[in-house]
Amino acid sequence: MTSTWGVGQYVDRAGVRVAWDVSHAEIRRDAGGATTRLEAIGVEPGRRVLWCSMLSEAAQFWPFIIATMLRGAQLSCADATRGEAVRVAMFTRQMTYHAVLGVNGALLDGLDDLGRPYADVFHEVCVLGARPDAHDRLVAAGLRPTHFVLAGPAVAIGDEPGAPARVDSTEWELHDVDNHVAVTNLAERASRFNRTATAICARQITTETFVPISSRGN
Amino acid sequence: MSVPPVESTFYDAEYETMPRDRLADLQLELLLDTIAFTYERSSLIRELWRKARITPADIRTLDDFREKVPFISKDAVRRFRDRHADPYGGLLCLPPAELTAIMSTSGTTGDPTLVAEKWGGASIGRPAIMYRDFWGMGVRPGDYFSLFLFTFRGPTYGFVQSLDAVPLLFDYDLDEIERLLRLSIEYGPTAMYNFGGTMILATEQIAARAGIDPREAFASYRGIVWAGEPLGARARALARDWGMSLFEHSSVGDVTASFECSAHDGMHVWEDTVLVEGIDPDAVDHRDAAAVTDDDARCELVATALTNRVAPLVRYRSDDIVRITRTPCPCGRTHARIRTVGRKGDEVVVAGRSVLPVDVWSAIDSIDACRLGLFQIIRPARELDELRLRVGYQDTAQSRLSTLADEIAAAVIAAVGVTPAVELVPNAELLRLGPPHKIPRVAAR
Repeated sequence: MTSTWGVGQYVDRAGVRVAWDVSHAEIRRDAGGATTRLEAIGVEPGRRVLWCSMLSEAAQFWPFIIATMLRGAQLSCADATRGEAVRVAMFTRQMTYHAVLGVNGALLDGLDDLGRPYADVFHEVCVLGARPDAHDRLVAAGLRPTHFVLAGPAVAIGDEPGAPARVDSTEWELHDVDNHVAVTNLAERASRFNRTATAICARQITTETFVPISSRGN
Repeated sequence: MSVPPVESTFYDAEYETMPRDRLADLQLELLLDTIAFTYERSSLIRELWRKARITPADIRTLDDFREKVPFISKDAVRRFRDRHADPYGGLLCLPPAELTAIMSTSGTTGDPTLVAEKWGGASIGRPAIMYRDFWGMGVRPGDYFSLFLFTFRGPTYGFVQSLDAVPLLFDYDLDEIERLLRLSIEYGPTAMYNFGGTMILATEQIAARAGIDPREAFASYRGIVWAGEPLGARARALARDWGMSLFEHSSVGDVTASFECSAHDGMHVWEDTVLVEGIDPDAVDHRDAAAVTDDDARCELVATALTNRVAPLVRYRSDDIVRITRTPCPCGRTHARIRTVGRKGDEVVVAGRSVLPVDVWSAIDSIDACRLGLFQIIRPARELDELRLRVGYQDTAQSRLSTLADEIAAAVIAAVGVTPAVELVPNAELLRLGPPHKIPRVAAR
């Protein structure tokens, strides 16, 4: 069996999509970390999670999708695009979701197109994971989003609304490179990251947490 | 089932080339099992069958099935969902807690409906769709495989990895085309799923701007799958020029999907997983639905899932007009093939003349400013006094729009003999209407 799981992408400091080879071993390790992270935000058997992502982000999201199953929860998927707002609104109208993770500005633009107030669509959602370009818009609508950030290859999720976004500290170390989140991989990966600056602008950057300000491409 | 030896022509030779009489026996066995399973568990099926005064005991043969069993339509599923506050539309055959995932249909024809899934235990059949098709196109373990797709149907990359191939992951987005071309040259993938007409047409300009030769970018591909919408003449010509080996792909009544094989003479339906029927498209219900059995005759596709044990559709009336052939395929497979004609709900009749999107497609995408082939037929009713078209354009100054509308009208008149009223909108306005692989080709207003 080939050792390569797939070729994904992450967005670098310049906003460019960089191809990223990922191994099956990484995915397995990341799924373990993701399971712990989902447990921390209350993803439990019988609950549902709606993942809003793009296919090119599958290397970041797939471990979390596995983790959703490992937690005994059910998952749904929508693309994180303007046109998919109708699908997100359909899901939250018909089912109760404990978490909707990966909401971005494009989806909110789509809800605006539909004339659907964000609070109506997400009012029953306990954990609303918002990307940097959606976070403040959701706060302005009276919601309490949690930070959900793709910091290059690493996924960072806040412990609670308003809390800094946190990466898996067994896998990644963060650095502040001119107010951009940079990442270094701590365990072996098919692609090496050494203080690799991402598109995520942030403040209060520690080795494992940061508060995102804005981003390009995410 | 393990991956076959690389020299094998077929992924599952025994099933793909099964003699038709054996296939018919297998289908009947699976059908009777499906009926019993579904009647016991699906509220919608039970409700419909009780109205029709039948039970599984009344169905012993395929003829019984065709004569007695009522159809399901997407609207019936939506009505049941709304009437009973059942998000699964009465189709679910498992306790909801046993589901792994809840996905949804594309939503091209209205509100997306939910698709219940149980990963790793949903099917009683052998691996079929995609596995057999892409193996047949030449995908082998260790190959790279470009996925140019959306995510709303879930992690489709799993089947690529099951073939021991490596997915290259792209968003279904015009902005990804340059990256796709560059990585295709770098990695040399052997297959791509799914690169439709809009993407092919956009590639021309994007490749030129980036200084990339599409012939070089597509040289490693043995198969490139397109779906969702017909390919216009312009896209076909570009693909031919670039050496793209194209394979058509289509859904089969929300039950499964079909793919062309190397013979490029219709799309194979894996009949050990689905029972396909052709009926008279004008039928009101099963009681007056004449079976269309002539080979390759135009009919409405009706599909029944044979191996799904989560939420099987039984006699699902697809609204798709197709032609079905069961003659032997030159590729060696014995399973039926379908050819798509159009959607029943997309047809308009203007002054007695039938017009489907496919009829005006090439007229529109032959015009340079409309080369992405983005348009909608405005269809407030099936029968209309006037053909109204909303057409996307690019690279055209405001002052030239009236001339452009005249050019489109002239091309449409030449194609279908009907004078259209043309409304022009920027391409982006239509692309926003998604789902991403196909825009709705008709709009009520």
